[in-house]
Amino acid sequence: MKLTLNWLRDFVEIAEKPQAVADAFNSLGFAVEQMIPLVPNFRDVTIGKVAKVVAHPDADRLRICQVDVSSEVLQIVCGAWNFEVGSLVPVAVPGAVIGGDLEIGRRRIRGATSNGMICSESELGIGEYSDGIMVLNDDYPAAEDLLGANFSSLLEYPDTFFDLEVNPNRPDAMSVRGLARELSAYFAIPLRELDISLEKTSSEMGLCVKIEDPQGCPRFVGREVRDLKIKPSPHWIRFRLENAGIRPINNVVDASNYVMLEMGHPTHAFDADRVGAALTIRRAKEEEQILLLDGSKRDLTASDIVVADGDKSIAIAGVMGGTDTEVTANTTRVLLEAAYWHPPSILLTSKRLGLRSEASARFERGVDPNFCNLAADRVAQLLVEHAGGSVGSSIDVYPSRISPREVALPLSEVSRILGVQVSGVEISHFLESLGFAISGEDPLLIQVPTRRPDVTRSVDLIEEIGRLYGFENIPERIATGPGGGLETSGKRRRKLRYLLAGAGLHETLNFSFIGSADLDALDLPSSDSRRDGVRIINPLREEEGVMRTTLLPGLLKAVAINQARQLGSVGLFEIGTVFISGSGELPEQPEYLAFALAGDRDGDFSRNSREVDVRDATGLWELIADDMRLPNVEQREVTRRPFHPGRAAELEVNKDVIGVVGEIHPSVARRFGITGRVVAGELNLAPLTAPRDTWTFTAPSPYPPAVFDLAFELDTSSPVSALLTAARVAAGEILESVNVFDVFIGPPLNRDMKSVAIRVTLRSPERTLTEQEAADVRRSIAAAVETRTGGALRGEL
Amino acid sequence: MTDDNVPAGLSEQLDALRASAPERIVQAESLDSLSSVEAETLGRRSVLSELRRGLGEIAMEQRRAAGMAVQAVESELRDILEKRRHVLASAAEQQHLDAEWVDVTLPGRIPERGALHLVEETMNEIVDIFTSIGYAVAKGPEAETEFYNFTALNIPYTHPARFETDTLYLDYGQSKEEILLRTHTSPMQARYMEEHPPPVYVVVPGRVFRRDQLDPTHSPVFHQVEGLAVDEGITLADLKGTLAYFAREIFGSTTKVRFQPDYFPFTEPSAQMHAYAFGGWIELLGCGMVHPAVFEHVGYDPDKVTGFAFGMGADRVAMVRHGITDLRHLFDPDVRVLRQFR
Repeated sequence: MKLTLNWLRDFVEIAEKPQAVADAFNSLGFAVEQMIPLVPNFRDVTIGKVAKVVAHPDADRLRICQVDVSSEVLQIVCGAWNFEVGSLVPVAVPGAVIGGDLEIGRRRIRGATSNGMICSESELGIGEYSDGIMVLNDDYPAAEDLLGANFSSLLEYPDTFFDLEVNPNRPDAMSVRGLARELSAYFAIPLRELDISLEKTSSEMGLCVKIEDPQGCPRFVGREVRDLKIKPSPHWIRFRLENAGIRPINNVVDASNYVMLEMGHPTHAFDADRVGAALTIRRAKEEEQILLLDGSKRDLTASDIVVADGDKSIAIAGVMGGTDTEVTANTTRVLLEAAYWHPPSILLTSKRLGLRSEASARFERGVDPNFCNLAADRVAQLLVEHAGGSVGSSIDVYPSRISPREVALPLSEVSRILGVQVSGVEISHFLESLGFAISGEDPLLIQVPTRRPDVTRSVDLIEEIGRLYGFENIPERIATGPGGGLETSGKRRRKLRYLLAGAGLHETLNFSFIGSADLDALDLPSSDSRRDGVRIINPLREEEGVMRTTLLPGLLKAVAINQARQLGSVGLFEIGTVFISGSGELPEQPEYLAFALAGDRDGDFSRNSREVDVRDATGLWELIADDMRLPNVEQREVTRRPFHPGRAAELEVNKDVIGVVGEIHPSVARRFGITGRVVAGELNLAPLTAPRDTWTFTAPSPYPPAVFDLAFELDTSSPVSALLTAARVAAGEILESVNVFDVFIGPPLNRDMKSVAIRVTLRSPERTLTEQEAADVRRSIAAAVETRTGGALRGEL
Repeated sequence: MTDDNVPAGLSEQLDALRASAPERIVQAESLDSLSSVEAETLGRRSVLSELRRGLGEIAMEQRRAAGMAVQAVESELRDILEKRRHVLASAAEQQHLDAEWVDVTLPGRIPERGALHLVEETMNEIVDIFTSIGYAVAKGPEAETEFYNFTALNIPYTHPARFETDTLYLDYGQSKEEILLRTHTSPMQARYMEEHPPPVYVVVPGRVFRRDQLDPTHSPVFHQVEGLAVDEGITLADLKGTLAYFAREIFGSTTKVRFQPDYFPFTEPSAQMHAYAFGGWIELLGCGMVHPAVFEHVGYDPDKVTGFAFGMGADRVAMVRHGITDLRHLFDPDVRVLRQFR
């Protein structure tokens, strides 16, 4: 809501400085978004009266005027013709400054001396009219008594502009009067109401209004104003409107807008001569259309409320009028509509049509149904005063009066919510200052004005008390809880993230949306369940039309983005929710962990780097499994998109498959725009972070180890994991470690054969092992490997 | 040092040795040559060894003195020798060390390491402040029902937030309810209270969604931390004190806060908390006393318990603290961005 301090002063005599007013608004809950001092763009412009006008002897288009500025009479040459003797005008006397920095002096114009300048609105920067000079007589009657005074005093300078945020539950505060009421309560200054009284005329309007939809339109007030002359509004109205951010149009539209800002109640003016004798308020019919003031043609639906003249809609209620009944330059008679519309209906219609206006913003929040007649009267009053109008009759259709709500407020409730003792006297005082009527003692019975739809129960009243008591005056107390903290899985989730960062991966966050093109790029077969993503009904972009079923597209794009920026060596991970269609009320939403690595690793100026390979992926998995102490871990070869068919491993924890790691299929990598190899993994997070039993300590053995190496020749396709498992089982409890230290393919081995060398370390916790014991283990490992994997021992046993 | 009891010949020989041997020892320039000198002067074939072997032939009454004289010379020479050995060893070590000089301003070998995302870490920090004063942590579904996201929070059916222009809805046919992407973490207020009887002290970090185009200040995906404290006797004073404490913890112990009335359908009274930090007032979070209608929805008795709730944007907290002026950086996978999150 944009308004000026002086406008507020129409309703409340505020002596405080603008900053104090801003502080008050903030404290009351109307956040001050802008506060701008308004100062004139001119200096030493004086109010003068034209005493004599004669033609300029040497210039047809100029006149020579004698202008009385009280202290003297100045001769001024003027090119405007919209004034005469007796006109009160703003005079830039010699030495005055206009337009910010233009100093006015004496000069000769076509041989005649001109001692200054009579100014137009646009020259003074206070309006758009530049066709003639400002004539103050009609717009500023007070000017007559201010001859020779500074012109800026007529314009309410200095002033202050405020832009306030009004919360959507406070339609009453979307007005100068409403905000003035708040200030009056805050500063304890009485609110001054305007005198809105009209001379009644007896002429019959002959209008009949029928409300077919009393839910959509509980009240409709119509008031006729006749004998109008459409012209610009007086300057002070235009000036206030412009300072509040509304463009002046003509005296009728401006009067309606002025009252909307002043009183918070929008009205609409129909050209009465273009409206028939019977209006109907109803819901629109299907396939009904209307041509609106903004020139657009709109299709209506049965949820829209319309004002209809016979069969034909002439306005969309509360949103916009039709062009057929528009007020034009030739209009002489208007029908002012001041209604109370069903707020949700206005919201639906304006939102559907994309027509949000100052008026609809107020109707959709709820104006005061019991103010309709006064709103219409106030507009009529302005039209009588400034448009030459005379008041015609009125009609008020209000089938069932909306009465003020009554809410009980037990006094103890106030301290129970606010945490501070406020006396009954103080409570009554606060509420009365906002216009609530009070009876009873405890509970207080509060009558809520109908302009306050937000107050429906006691806690709403407590908020009002709190606002006026001042949130800043409420004490502070820390509310500590009984404990609880992070659950084990949450702690382990953090540990896992630290582990991955320590292992060289950067955590990244991607959006939760993907597109079907992303799934195509992953080359997922049509039967793949990851293609059954949950669709977004109203996505922002088609590429973001599906909830992600996998984190991999996001990470592969992230790799490609970094490569495109010459940051090719990257390791990234993300932990995020994926969305899987299921049978429950909501999609299943497990968290996944995914990672991707590309580019060169381990490089330094002193040693060569190497490109990432699949062992970087399996290694990360082994690191995770080890560090998170995962139980019964297995990994085995798998073929699964988007991974390379010969370079991917399926992972198992406690017999459950929990994910896949491997190299991304080269054609998938290409489709994502990645050059070179990229390895990745995607795992279900819950099994990784599930609580684990407490581990038990093993004291290190003080005895020396027995260490020996064995090499086996076996099929290249034979998994080394099987060999290691066989070795572990055969070695039994005294095995300390078994590690692969060499894998070799090529001559002298046969094709399809490889040599795998392992180093076995045995150690007993109880004694030094004998050579015989070591030899026995060596023999049983050799035998077990041969049995389990077909691997033949190379060299001597 | 001549003993009258020592035979004159022996004495002369020892004196000669005492005169000549030290110079030879000191002249040895390497540990190797020192070893040769050692063998020559003190070894088995040395003059000294010979003299020692000859002691048996000296008369009994002089033998003891002679032995002591030989021993004295031997000790003397061994002393000189060890001192020289120490000098040579130190020099040799110094030479070795000099040869091993490297430029220590060369870049070190840094283990490959990554960084944790600023938004996640900020959420953790916020959560930790509340767990340290006894709050539990819960998480809720990102795809949520319209009921929990709006209805249970007293948000009317006609509220603009429910419109498809503002909220992302999901095509999830199997459900009777409309399913949407939660627009705030507040649905967990209702879910948590349904699951737990009062008292409740909990924070809920998580991802939320709005139908906003990505720009420097908006994103369709962002992150919030929700908080809820419900008990007998919770008042606006508890809200103020707890959240002021939070602001001091996250922005520093001298941080000032102010509370201004605001409006949320699910709290009454409602407020916006501003914190004075980094040279200006920052809108930090929305908060308020839990609306009795919310208690009624979850089966709590609003006449018995009261509570406060709050919600804040974790992305925003992160941006304010680290001088990030464009929200989009937080979703940029560029490693030059991510590296800064260390």
